[in-house]
Amino acid sequence: MPETVGVHIPPVMESGHTYASVTDHIDGIVLRRRWTWVWLAAFGFTFALVMLLTTAIGWLIVRGIGVWGVDIPVAWGFAIINFVWWIGIGHAGTFISAMLLLMRQDWRTSINRFAEAMTLFAVACAGLFPLLHLGRIKFFYWLVPYPNTMWLWPQFRSALVWDVFAVSTYGLVSLIFWYVGLIPDLATLRDRATGRRRRVIYGILAMGWRGASRHWTRYQTAYLLLAGLAAPLVISVHSIVGMDFASAQLPGWHTTIFPPYFVAGAIFSGFAMVLSLAIPMRAAFGLQGFITIRHLDNCAKLMLVNGLIVAYGYLAEAYMGWYSGNAYESYVNLNRMHGPYAPAYWVMMTCNVLVPQLLWFKWVRRNVPTLFLLAFLVNVGMWTERYVIIITSLHRDFLPSSWGMYYPTFWDLATLVGTIGLFLCFFLLFCRFLPVISIFEMRELVHSTAGGTRPPPTMEPKHAH
Amino acid sequence: MPTDVSAHPSAAPADLFGLAAEFASPEALLAAARRVRAAGYTRAEAYSPFPIEGLSHALGFARSRVAMIVLFGAFIGAVGAFGMQWYANVLSYTWDIGGKPPNSWPAFIPITFELAVLGAAVAAVLGMLALNGLPEPYHPMFNLPQFGLASRDRFFLCVEASDPKFDLAEARQLLQDLAPVSVGEVLK
Amino acid sequence: MSERDPTTEYTLWRSPEELNGSAAGNLREFADGAWRPPGWANRREFLALVGASAALAGLTGCSDRPDEEKIVPYVRQPEQVVPGNPLMFATAMPLGGYGRGVLVESHEGRPTKVEGNPDHPSSPGGGSDVFMQASILQLYDPDRSKSVTRAGQPSHWGAFASELRRRIDAKRAAGGAGIAILTGIVTSPSLGARINEVRRLFPKATWHQYEPSARVNTAAGAVAAFGRAVNTVYQFERAKVIVSLDADFLSDDPLSVRYARHFANARRVRRGRTDASRLYVAESTLSLAGSMADRRIPVRPAVVERVAWKLASLVGVANAPGEEPTGDAEVEGFVAAAAADLRKNPGACVVVAGEAQPPAVHALAHAINQQLGSVGKTVVYTEPVEVRPDDVTASLKELVASMEAGRVDVLLILGGNPAHASPGDVAFKAALERMTTARDTSGELAHFTAHLGLYDDETSYLCQWHVPEAHYLETWGDVRAPDGTASVIQPLISPLFGGRSAGEVLAVLTAQGDISPYEAVRDHWRRQATGGDFEQWWATALRRGTIEGTAAKPVQVAPAKLPAKTALIVALGTVDVVIRLDWAVWDGSFANLTWMQELPRPFTKLVWDNAALMSPRTAGRLNVNDGDVVKLTAGEVTVEAPAMILPGLPDETITVHLGYGRTRAGSVATAGAGEWGRRGFDAYPLRRGSSPWHTAGANVTKTGATWRLVTTRNHHAMEALRGLEHGRVTEERLKPDVVASPDDDVETKNRQLVRVVSLSRFAKDPNAVKELGGEAGRRVKLSLYPDSWDYSQGPQWGMSIDLQTCIGCNACVIACQAENNIATVGKQEVSRQREMHWIRIDSYFAGGVDRPSVYHQPVPCMHCENAPCEYVCPTGATTHSTQGLNEMTYNRCIGTRYCSNNCPYKVRRFNFFAFGYESSKGSTQLQKNPEVTVRTRGVMEKCSYCVQRINRTRIEVEKTVVELTEQARLAANDDERKRLNGQADARRFAVYEGLRTACEQACPTAAIVFGDIREPRSQVSMLKAQPHDYTLLDELTTRPRTSYLARFTNATGDGGEGAA
Repeated sequence: MPETVGVHIPPVMESGHTYASVTDHIDGIVLRRRWTWVWLAAFGFTFALVMLLTTAIGWLIVRGIGVWGVDIPVAWGFAIINFVWWIGIGHAGTFISAMLLLMRQDWRTSINRFAEAMTLFAVACAGLFPLLHLGRIKFFYWLVPYPNTMWLWPQFRSALVWDVFAVSTYGLVSLIFWYVGLIPDLATLRDRATGRRRRVIYGILAMGWRGASRHWTRYQTAYLLLAGLAAPLVISVHSIVGMDFASAQLPGWHTTIFPPYFVAGAIFSGFAMVLSLAIPMRAAFGLQGFITIRHLDNCAKLMLVNGLIVAYGYLAEAYMGWYSGNAYESYVNLNRMHGPYAPAYWVMMTCNVLVPQLLWFKWVRRNVPTLFLLAFLVNVGMWTERYVIIITSLHRDFLPSSWGMYYPTFWDLATLVGTIGLFLCFFLLFCRFLPVISIFEMRELVHSTAGGTRPPPTMEPKHAH
Repeated sequence: MPTDVSAHPSAAPADLFGLAAEFASPEALLAAARRVRAAGYTRAEAYSPFPIEGLSHALGFARSRVAMIVLFGAFIGAVGAFGMQWYANVLSYTWDIGGKPPNSWPAFIPITFELAVLGAAVAAVLGMLALNGLPEPYHPMFNLPQFGLASRDRFFLCVEASDPKFDLAEARQLLQDLAPVSVGEVLK
Repeated sequence: MSERDPTTEYTLWRSPEELNGSAAGNLREFADGAWRPPGWANRREFLALVGASAALAGLTGCSDRPDEEKIVPYVRQPEQVVPGNPLMFATAMPLGGYGRGVLVESHEGRPTKVEGNPDHPSSPGGGSDVFMQASILQLYDPDRSKSVTRAGQPSHWGAFASELRRRIDAKRAAGGAGIAILTGIVTSPSLGARINEVRRLFPKATWHQYEPSARVNTAAGAVAAFGRAVNTVYQFERAKVIVSLDADFLSDDPLSVRYARHFANARRVRRGRTDASRLYVAESTLSLAGSMADRRIPVRPAVVERVAWKLASLVGVANAPGEEPTGDAEVEGFVAAAAADLRKNPGACVVVAGEAQPPAVHALAHAINQQLGSVGKTVVYTEPVEVRPDDVTASLKELVASMEAGRVDVLLILGGNPAHASPGDVAFKAALERMTTARDTSGELAHFTAHLGLYDDETSYLCQWHVPEAHYLETWGDVRAPDGTASVIQPLISPLFGGRSAGEVLAVLTAQGDISPYEAVRDHWRRQATGGDFEQWWATALRRGTIEGTAAKPVQVAPAKLPAKTALIVALGTVDVVIRLDWAVWDGSFANLTWMQELPRPFTKLVWDNAALMSPRTAGRLNVNDGDVVKLTAGEVTVEAPAMILPGLPDETITVHLGYGRTRAGSVATAGAGEWGRRGFDAYPLRRGSSPWHTAGANVTKTGATWRLVTTRNHHAMEALRGLEHGRVTEERLKPDVVASPDDDVETKNRQLVRVVSLSRFAKDPNAVKELGGEAGRRVKLSLYPDSWDYSQGPQWGMSIDLQTCIGCNACVIACQAENNIATVGKQEVSRQREMHWIRIDSYFAGGVDRPSVYHQPVPCMHCENAPCEYVCPTGATTHSTQGLNEMTYNRCIGTRYCSNNCPYKVRRFNFFAFGYESSKGSTQLQKNPEVTVRTRGVMEKCSYCVQRINRTRIEVEKTVVELTEQARLAANDDERKRLNGQADARRFAVYEGLRTACEQACPTAAIVFGDIREPRSQVSMLKAQPHDYTLLDELTTRPRTSYLARFTNATGDGGEGAA
């Protein structure tokens, strides 16, 4: 733990903060900060991208799935790539909140709130694609079990149905988790807001929270349990996404390593996205005091670890391809490295395996611009990884006679860019209307650091005696 | 001031909810809570801007039942999920799907797990809110002018008038002795 | 859909015509029907069509003479129309003048499908070819001309007839001098009689025949050898050794369907039956016959004659001069081996000369066949079957000459499209245009030119009059098969667009204008019929689809006269242009059919275009790749064509196919704007009247331009296989530096997918095939799940495909398209790999790039028992039936396409757009099979094993079997009961064995066999019990219901003594 490790480790929060100061600083961003043209410009831009997205979706619905580049044999294209990419990004938030909470990482406190928000928005973007990529979008609800006169059910052996349950569960639980975490802060905003309208809105959202000790006790039990549930959920969701591929028998998909290395990849890209958002945000709202070099450093370390797991995944795939002696498996690997899509493969290798090795060096981890660039590259690399997995496996499978190529169309790109816009648009609104850092937990942090004593394990009366 | 002192030494006003003391630090609040409890008050509640270890216990709060509710939710989710899949494939509409048996239970595990988690999570939150009696738009404490600070940097302890042992003067005395920032009557 | 119709394209392709300011262009202000987009029948017209066709229901005959004209259903069908039960009618399809026997399926009077007539000599076993299959679409082609036009203005038959009458009356005095009639090759007895009648009335009138597909060399060869016109028919069934001298008897012959069947019968390999016939092919291109060869050499066209001479001398043809060595070891070896084999099998061998070769080669082939005693055994000579055997090129030249000399005043072009299809050195087009536009002193059009044709095409554009021609399914007529057998053509529907037959036009000349085609044909045959009850004779003829005793009489021929020996001349530095009819659009007459345009051609898999095919080495020398435009110059003619590389072609020869480059052919065939609008190039200008199939001394240069060629073969299969086999990375494009070395072992290279074993090895070790796949003796259970489904009850459907006899002719592909309402998607969508064929023919090349072996592998849905597509479908839209079918429920499909991803055979097809609706315009909707859903946008589809046929049969069985078992239950005694149950069983077996899928039924070689694999007596079970039966990707344990029989090599080199 920082306190015990030594003096070189920067603090999780700059010193000198009081309960009042943290509260005022953070709720100030929401309650007292003026509209800046920077924010408006950014919002305008991202909103334009959202309009592009709606256009792309409109055309897709009017004309049909054929406006995309998908074909036979490559029947899955950008839609599924984007889906996996977004859902992966959506993993960092819950991971940070849940895992790190369980592991008593107090440095999580100042980043979990916006990380969770990021998760929600990423999942929202991801959730679009499974619907959009259907040939007959209007019947998407056939994926859900519901009573009908034909006594028809979804086909529960299909990984796609697992997906429906996994992703919707994940989205719902993440939302709950996030909201529960927000309740005390909403109470703060309610009490601190000046205008009546805001008081009413925040008041309703706060549900009459007043910080009674008994409430706090139950609250913490529930929150801890949620964390305990969310942690395995994070693992399971991307494992199931991995099974979308692993449960098929296509060379390059049919791989037992997929679930674990999909999870690692997800957290990898998640932390990359956390950094890509945190670095500009702390600058924009002057949060350097709360999101310190310590946080960036830790995120970078976690990226490194997950990056190594991902690299191991690549290695294992190639090795199994060779070791299995299966002509098709080994061909898939060779085709990835030397085939028509080789550039994608090497971009993936560079961004996901080579570049992260820089994180071994402390100066890289603590040099903010470098870290930002690096995080960006990892995001690119992880998108490319999904491209490699999906496209190169499909375009050349068993029968050479049915090999083909895949070329994305304008509408494919428009949809990808559009969802990025949607994601950022959501995030900008979040920064404006909700506390980007958990205020009450910051107070707790003040209490523990100032008071010298760190809060002992969360309070379960039964532990008390 | 009450006129008839013989009947009730210090009778509280009918619309009094309780007597609240304001403190500047969690330590003070915790100490105060212990004292009030020791003084035999059973109906007292403390309010703080962040959770404080041992506070509710100090006020005689036994244990939260949230955990049990969560377990129950998880159970419902799991059984419901597997039951649904088994029913759909074995009883309701049996298909030959890729030569796999109707009860392909390994394929049913993922959804079972997911719904278990979902059930548990929903149960946790709803359970917590229900036990806390939330949402609760109105509460007498909000009548206390300075209570707004309870969500910032002030810590409150309220001895409620409904306490059988409650006597306004004694309570005031007791709280005053705790060196609070302020003491005030909380009206319903 | 009308807003989707290419009205704009229509005007687009018309405008160049009008802009180029040709005099003919000025003839017409507005085209007939220009007010209405083509390809779209408006509501009235559509209802009219339906009404007209409905009138046929119940055999009431054609709608205009319901009570007179009786058409008679095929004998094996129920006597009365049961709604929902289609009837089969026997008739005949004329193609290039020769008849192909067909059965036509009619739903309540609406013909929807064409099959081969098993009782017709041209299609034994009921096999068919792409042209028979596609002719049904031509019937409904919305671009067919819809009314008589004069100078482009709508007119009517009456006006035409009176004008014609006026013109010929003027000629009557002069004995008809100045009247010229141009027809295709006429074998129709009644039409012949009509023509002779005309010539009796107008002795000076001239009759010319021209047919782009005419077999002029063959005819000339016979004349050269025997001094008289003789028709040659081969009996490949009896041949143990076949030597083809540039002859593609499997696809490029009026009798090819029959030849393919007989050839296959002599090729089938079964347990203990390994005496397959051996095929030697020396050819100047890559033909289907070549792909089946046991030993093949690609040579430049002129070399074939050397081969023939050498063969002649080696088999000891009297006074055939000893041939000096060609200096080509390969040729020497080939000829030596072939000659040895021939001598070993006298009387059981045949040498076939290809139409593409000059008469000399034919004469030599005749001589060799006589020398080896094959005449009367494998070769039969008969009287010619044409009404007047002509050298059609000479005939056309004659006509052009007299047109240019102004000796022709009245020109009737009855059928065909000579303006487009005449050889480059015969200026028919110019002559016709001059004649049509010539005006006399009074400014009137001086001459009378009329064209009878299915389409308002290049020829009708240059004629004053155009008369819509009746499709063969619309009118009465008769035609002879190449063996002389005559058939009556009975219509299945009254003319949709008021078409007329050639006979009807000629009837105007013979002043019998009012006689109906029906009467004309009946009268003719009433005169022929000898005694007996004519009505009964007539009914029998119609029912059987053939007229008994009309086969041409065999003739005795004198010893063949050897041709004069010519020196081998190959101008160095020049290339040979080898000209062939297109595999699909043929001479151009099928060019407007989307089915044909989108049919992946054998070997190249090219669609919507033709190309200049060349060998990899030649391409390497010219430094061109697929799609580079090259300039072909032969004499003064220059043609620009996209190059395409095809291994197996002889170097320095360019193979081009006819029938493309149409300028007026309807919205499908005519080139439109942009790279997707291109529709090949016109190869006719390269053609020489003197040698229609081979133009020597041509030059080819790269232009630098490129042309977007679209193929369904996205990667060179041979290279792909090497990549898999040797775990080596493969190239996208075939280049000489990455091709296999010729000594690569075919067997090991292809073992995964196409299993090829030498016949000799198989004879010794029947397990050889199974060993190749490594599944011999493999008994590993690879699934965690138990076998949960019982496939032992009821019929269990399965299919067996014999790679040894599949010739890759594509008949199954079109048949499937017609049967299952499969959409076409257009050039651009095919380029995006979205074609919809349910069955495809994979071509694999093995061996060296210069001398590759080619293997055809038809791939329909495998109907796996452990279907990978099923368990990944989230909605259960694809499921398994108790009879082992992998079924697709379109209504339940939401289009996740996961099933396609997980299908190792990639046989699933997806409706990325509303292909089904967009591709069935107007009257073509009448072709749709009412028993098959037209798929909507966004759903997956695939081969269903023709489940509609299965169910119809199953219902049939259940009806009868229930009946019989009921009787058995009530039977008086046990014997009776046993007898009835036995009867029920026999009935069930018979009906199920009779069940055939569309591809199986169409297959000319019976390479595809479908049936109940649970029934041990069924043909398919017997085939699956063969030692060389294997399943594709067996190691995936998908347990396919479709399995393959291995292909065998049988060259003397590899010790296979199958022919010995």
